[in-house]
Amino acid sequence: MITCILVDDEPLAREELASMLTAYQDIQIIAQCGNAIEAIQLIIKHKPDLIFLDIQMPKISGMELIGMLDPEQMPKVIFITAFDEFAIKAFDNHAFDYLLKPIEESRLQQSIARLRKDLTPQAVHSIAPTQLNHLPCYTGNKLKVILVDEVEFVCSDVGGIHVTTAKETVHTQMTLKMLEEKTGLVRCHRQYLITPKAIAEIELLDSGAEVTTHSGAKVPVSRRYLKTLKQLFGFQ
Amino acid sequence: MALILLLTQQMCLYLVIVYLFSKTPLFKLFAETASRLPHKVFIYLVFSSFCIMATYFGEQTNDAIANTRAMGAVLGGLLGGPVTGFLVGLTGGLHRYSLGGFTDLACAISTTLEGLSAGLFSYYLRSSGRYEKIYDPLIVFGLTFVVELMQMTTILIVAKPWEDSLVLVKEIAPSMLLVNSIGTALFMSMIRDQKTMADKLSSAFSAKALKIAERSVGILSQGFDQKSSATIAQIVLEETNVGAVAITDRNRLLAFIGLGADHHLPGTPISSNMTEAAIRENKVMFADGVESAYACSLSPQCKLGSCLVIPLRNDTEVIGTIKLYEAKNKLFLNINKTLGEGIGRLLSNQILHNRVTQQQNLLTQTELKLLQAQVNPHFLFNALNTISAIIKRDPDQSKQLLQQLSQFLRINLKRTTSLISLGDELEHINSYLAIEKARFIDSLHIEINISPELYELKMPAFTLQPIIENAVKHGTSQMLETGKIRIEAQLIENDTLEMIVEDNAGLYHNSGLVENGSMKSEGLGMNLVHKRIQNIFGSKFGVTVDCCTDQYTRVIIRIPVAGVTE
Repeated sequence: MITCILVDDEPLAREELASMLTAYQDIQIIAQCGNAIEAIQLIIKHKPDLIFLDIQMPKISGMELIGMLDPEQMPKVIFITAFDEFAIKAFDNHAFDYLLKPIEESRLQQSIARLRKDLTPQAVHSIAPTQLNHLPCYTGNKLKVILVDEVEFVCSDVGGIHVTTAKETVHTQMTLKMLEEKTGLVRCHRQYLITPKAIAEIELLDSGAEVTTHSGAKVPVSRRYLKTLKQLFGFQ
Repeated sequence: MALILLLTQQMCLYLVIVYLFSKTPLFKLFAETASRLPHKVFIYLVFSSFCIMATYFGEQTNDAIANTRAMGAVLGGLLGGPVTGFLVGLTGGLHRYSLGGFTDLACAISTTLEGLSAGLFSYYLRSSGRYEKIYDPLIVFGLTFVVELMQMTTILIVAKPWEDSLVLVKEIAPSMLLVNSIGTALFMSMIRDQKTMADKLSSAFSAKALKIAERSVGILSQGFDQKSSATIAQIVLEETNVGAVAITDRNRLLAFIGLGADHHLPGTPISSNMTEAAIRENKVMFADGVESAYACSLSPQCKLGSCLVIPLRNDTEVIGTIKLYEAKNKLFLNINKTLGEGIGRLLSNQILHNRVTQQQNLLTQTELKLLQAQVNPHFLFNALNTISAIIKRDPDQSKQLLQQLSQFLRINLKRTTSLISLGDELEHINSYLAIEKARFIDSLHIEINISPELYELKMPAFTLQPIIENAVKHGTSQMLETGKIRIEAQLIENDTLEMIVEDNAGLYHNSGLVENGSMKSEGLGMNLVHKRIQNIFGSKFGVTVDCCTDQYTRVIIRIPVAGVTE
């Protein structure tokens, strides 16, 4: 049984694909959603084998979405697009599977046949953006897209990953490791990432240091990361 | 009586000389105000020699000379002003003095006084703005009469013995007064005629040039080709009365009208070296047929004997020539040469203007085509996908959607460049929105608030639709929440149609877009709409954008009502 999630912002398009997939006994649709933020949550929650991913979606595109997923959790991806010359070229160059809307029955069949032979996820980093401009976040029931430039720091605790800007603190499903890799945030503590631009002062302590951000928030710096942080600003 | 005849004879001799003189270009100088030094020197020399000649040719009478010296002095003063007049009089006077006789001193003084008074009189007329009066023969007659009286008085006062002077004055006064006054007046009238003729000629010239300009306006707007060239050549021929007129482009003869049209055939390549040289060197070429020979390069029987070739320029580049010909038995008039060069400039300007207008139109047309051809492929394929999704479940709705899509595509493919009614534009918009609503279902709300009274108002095709497409594509479809688009139209002050498209996305961040004309893809449509409206209706109208980030983007389109109901 191959578990999959459908991601497309048009309900009818999802419905159509779902109805086409009923013909394949071994494909099981475990969830559907209409945007990338929900998609991340669903992927983390359900760990599907496969996602059908539309490229053009509000706020965060399908391409950006795969850049936000931890490679460890990356399912196999079949991209869907109505018309995106640029993306299609990228897929062809990297031998990624993709479907064009309206989806052809025979083309879907081919893709599924190939999938049955090999479910190993592709190395998507070759087409996914290496740097993220915005982060998929949520607060309560609300989905939020936060600009990376506005983030002051990120911390993790038992409750999850918390993204703090000058105005608010929201939560994200992305891991600290991914954020460290794909954004300008730097590690200052095992549980903290900080935006260098947001640092107003660094107070040295026995245990390491404490950073005060421009908006006045305090962020701990462990001794292990203090040196690299100081070097960023040219301190010895 | 005999003296009158003699003096008249003398005067006539002068007038004949003056008449001959009037046929030379130098004579023109008399018709102008002598304000510069070389001009004054010229006047001085001419009229001093008049005075001297008058003294020589004068009639010996009672040990004195009856003469027409006063003519020179008065004319010198009138045309040259007080200083020149004084000097002319003095020269004439000194010369007379050197000849002796009992009136020598009196004559010398009186001639100088005559020159000076005429000069002062002329100065008075000029400074009081009655400049034209200098050339009035009657006034000149009067003036000469008065100064001659003055001379007679001077002789009576200065010359001794008094008795002799009295006898002399009695004898010469009537004839000298009369002949000098008439002579001066006649001379002035000749100058005046010359002046009037020159004025008439130049006004005739201007009239001709203006007539050609007026008649040729707009003809070249149809392009610089054989047809328009033939019309222009015909006008030039009619207005200048030259033998023939030809117009060429850089390679071929475009039009030839007049003598020799039988063998100068439009459409044939340029054969004349002169024309080629004019094009190559961007220079006016002239062969008058006398000093520089002209021979037709096509036929030895050609009747044309002289030719003027004027290059036509488009900016700096020569794009052709206009040629004026005169027959062998006629002289190529100077006026036609000047006129020809003027025509060349006139046509060049028209061609240039025409190119600019054409390019502008072409640009707008192309851009419009681009706008219309820009059926967003993403929209198209998604629409097809939506239809294919509901085709099984709801065949009726899918049929309707197919019809909407067909209608939308049909209007886009038709590419009307003319004005359409707001009602028609709304139909186009409705087909578009029907499909978008099917795609996004609950996440797109459309509210159209337009009173049916406005449906008849005209606007350029594709004014509202691209703005609404923008609102969906770059606005609501980028939202995680429900997108709302509100479309309104209203009349402002009864003369402006204002259309508003507002979305609740507020994602329009290129605030300077319409102003700086930046061509980002999301602004292309809007920019074209804006530019087109401004092109058609002027800078008072167009598209403005008001955006509050994450709240709303409000696009306002303004079009004049008067200008669009025609």
